Amino acid sequence: MEEELLVSGRMNHLIDPQLNIWHWQIPLYLFLGGMAAGILCIAALYFIRGRENDYRTAVRITPFLAPFLLVIGLITLFIDLRHKLFFWQLYTNIRLQSPMSWGAWTLMVITPVSFIWCALHIKDIFPNWDWKFKWIYDIESFFNKYKKVLAWIMLIYGIILGIYTGILLSAFNARPLWNTSILGPLFLSSGLSAGAAATLILSKNKSERRQFARIDLVLIGIELFLIIHMFMGFLASTQVQIEAAKLFLGGPYTMSFWIFVVIMGMLIPALLEFMELGKFHIPAIVPAVLVIFGSLMLRFIIVYAGQVSRWLY
Amino acid sequence: MNGTYPQLEIEIRSERCNHCINAPCVRCCPTGASHFAEGGIVLVEHNKCIGCGACMASCPYDARYPHPDGYVDKCTFCIHRIKIGLAPACAAVCPTKCIYFGDLDDPNSDVSVVLKKRKSKTLIPEAGTKPQLYFLI
Repeated sequence: MEEELLVSGRMNHLIDPQLNIWHWQIPLYLFLGGMAAGILCIAALYFIRGRENDYRTAVRITPFLAPFLLVIGLITLFIDLRHKLFFWQLYTNIRLQSPMSWGAWTLMVITPVSFIWCALHIKDIFPNWDWKFKWIYDIESFFNKYKKVLAWIMLIYGIILGIYTGILLSAFNARPLWNTSILGPLFLSSGLSAGAAATLILSKNKSERRQFARIDLVLIGIELFLIIHMFMGFLASTQVQIEAAKLFLGGPYTMSFWIFVVIMGMLIPALLEFMELGKFHIPAIVPAVLVIFGSLMLRFIIVYAGQVSRWLY
Repeated sequence: MNGTYPQLEIEIRSERCNHCINAPCVRCCPTGASHFAEGGIVLVEHNKCIGCGACMASCPYDARYPHPDGYVDKCTFCIHRIKIGLAPACAAVCPTKCIYFGDLDDPNSDVSVVLKKRKSKTLIPEAGTKPQLYFLI
């Protein structure tokens, strides 16, 4: 007898138990984009405020990570697309109602800006760097002349990039866990915190490290505040959002969220940084790596848990 | 299925695109591939779709799915049949004729008439999507 194999792509919950469209690529990109946004915002902010010499690493060295993070992020986004050959359609359309369209255009601006920022500081990494051609030197001096404008563009687009990674999810009313406006500011502060942690690792200057430990402490405080408010909002909302909060309050994501994100990614590094600012000597890399890990886990857990959360009908 | 034995009730629905008036899938599409066709049917233009999945995440009815060729696909209300005056395949083949199709703007169409006569509901109206698929109760 001839057998027929039926292949179904349905995402219906009556066939598939839950939505299952976004896998590791999206949370990894949200993390990489958020961290790059954090690094670039901090660099731009200190440059604009004229603190370049005090926070040399943050302004001139850490931004070298950003182009790598952004390019890897763009690659993961591309891997995620199912109809890959049509990706250019993103750049023949501007859709103001679509956060993803905002994100695509923001990346189109901030990725080249991050490359230019690094090119202006390449001699900090390779002292003998030579651009070889005169016209490249001309371009370099042009951007050096307008470096402050470049820094403003970097700051504004950095903030948009950092917030949009959260808004991308919060715009989906169909997934009650994502449908909270707290997600934008939460992902922005988590990205800034990961960006500050990167400088904490790279900086060799003690006073700069102390400053970034302080920044990280403040950002962790803001994140904890936002997380508490997120849960208060959920629990005071409709049944679907109460169910969404329950994923983290006794449900399947409880352990991973509170242990990896809150305890390991926020409370322990905050305690270590607090001790470092006091009398104890703690290698800066330990809290910094924990913060970056927590920031990554936050994206993974929110993206995966959000796909479990759904309307009841 | 709902209730405690022996007081049980069962609701049978044909799960599909609700062709919402305020469609979140059209709103969140970054390329404009998801669009409203003339008459309000929500469609995907295959050659504009990049397969990002935003529309699938945005649909509270989980009505969309990736086509094996990559683009995102969904119920088209058989627009290819409607255009030549035929009913959608689901309505045409239904042996008990329990699916009605028609123009909601036309007071004399099959759907308008049956919706006037009978009680109906839409699915999760609180999601704000203004679905145009009505379930008779």
